[in-house]
Amino acid sequence: MADDKDVLRDVWFGRIPTCFTLNQDEVTEREAEPYYLLLPRVSYLTLVTDKVKKHFLKVMRAEDVEEMWFEYEGTPLKWHYPIGVLFDLHASNNVLPWSITVHFKNFPDHDLLHCPSNSVIEAHFMSSIKEADALKHKSQVVNDMQKKDHKQLWMGLQNDKFDQFWAMNRKLMEYPTEDGGFRYIPFRIYQTMSDRPFIQKLFRPVSPEGSAHSLGDLLKEMYPDAITNDGEQKRYQVVIHGIEPLLETPLQWLSEHLSHPDNFLHICVIPLTHQPAG
Amino acid sequence: GEVPSLLSAPPSAVRAAERWLDLGGGSGEEGSEEGYLRKTALRSVTLDSESAQKQEGSGSDSEPHTSCPSSVEPHGQEGEQPDCIKDDTDDDDAGICTVTESSSQVLQFEYHILYSCSYSSPVLYFRAFTLEGRSLSLEEVWSSVHPNFRLRLQNSPLNTITQQEHPLLGQPFFVLHPCRTEEFMRPVLQVAQDQHRPVNYVLSWLSVVGPVVGLDVPLKYSTLVHPASSVSSTEPD
Repeated sequence: MADDKDVLRDVWFGRIPTCFTLNQDEVTEREAEPYYLLLPRVSYLTLVTDKVKKHFLKVMRAEDVEEMWFEYEGTPLKWHYPIGVLFDLHASNNVLPWSITVHFKNFPDHDLLHCPSNSVIEAHFMSSIKEADALKHKSQVVNDMQKKDHKQLWMGLQNDKFDQFWAMNRKLMEYPTEDGGFRYIPFRIYQTMSDRPFIQKLFRPVSPEGSAHSLGDLLKEMYPDAITNDGEQKRYQVVIHGIEPLLETPLQWLSEHLSHPDNFLHICVIPLTHQPAG
Repeated sequence: GEVPSLLSAPPSAVRAAERWLDLGGGSGEEGSEEGYLRKTALRSVTLDSESAQKQEGSGSDSEPHTSCPSSVEPHGQEGEQPDCIKDDTDDDDAGICTVTESSSQVLQFEYHILYSCSYSSPVLYFRAFTLEGRSLSLEEVWSSVHPNFRLRLQNSPLNTITQQEHPLLGQPFFVLHPCRTEEFMRPVLQVAQDQHRPVNYVLSWLSVVGPVVGLDVPLKYSTLVHPASSVSSTEPD
């Protein structure tokens, strides 16, 4: 039986094989070869694609290069979402490797946030951690940390250092035993069937009667369509880190073990009809 | 107790804010529970990147909405059309701040108020476009913020403006970070409680953060709050 700590490692080291191809309308001095890379599920596109940029800049002139952005089958990819979430949401039922198109022009500023430097990614990451702690601990734990502790969380992610990250992150996963869990669970439910980017609301891990809430309880409250009732055909997959956890799984356990480094549980609801033909 | 949700405030309190904010629906699936307040306004703005770094005169710590006349005050208080406010570009002659190199243009600003359940407070989202529809960058927005406000924001990093995804629309907006909201709202609520005065939480909050990004709350709206309509204002949880 896998130890709970093994789950933390499996989550951290999850990878997605990806093929980056330059958008054919970009102006190049010679033909651009595709670039292959294993992307960390828990990181962010703009943090891990320096090599991709360098590779394509070799065949382009400086004046043809603006802010790099990524697209999958016509959908601009939001760099501020964890990579694994983007894959599960848009491409999980398609063949590997994940084929991403790279652009250097016509940045879609009505769809994507700008990402001029790594400090923007860091600010975004830390802001998620702070918001998660506001929900879990009324911000008490994150506010008690020093600046260097915050830095350690970020450096751990940036440099892919599991131990360095979790040395600090474990504090954010603690709670008073008598409470039975966090104050509220930081989560977001994503789907592509409507314009709304995600659902995020207050939800406690423990009921007023003291019983542990499950993943199914969360969905019943926030996204009842995702639940298959008796006799119905299954319409949706509920995916976290590329797997479908049992709906009976306690939400508190999921929050402690299957959250992303930003301390949020990112849950994707994917329609089962969204499958490639053949 | 928790600060009541913006949208669970008594109807009359919300109506006061609604006079100049349209109630925009979200995706509509849950109706008014998840809407947001929205206002669009045309502002003639001085994009002043030159003096973004230097600061003259006032080093005082006074609250933004009293320290320096905003360069974007609305025309008078009468005959105001909430949906389309065109403002003068005032020459600032208060001597507190000097506008040097600048270009003046008319921009369209869109302001949204949403409620953050994580922080139990309202959050101001906004974006700006040129009349041709080009989005303003963070640098340009920053340079449109009055120099005195800019200094204050730079000194308190948790109050900076960042670009974020609108949680209901999924599009990029600029946001004034809500972290410090409780800090400046608490005294307001306490005094009002002590004096048994009604407080419209949203209008009070907005009158502090709004002017920083050019959203003014005309005085006359504060007179619309009367005893029967008070938002029960307990401290944020």
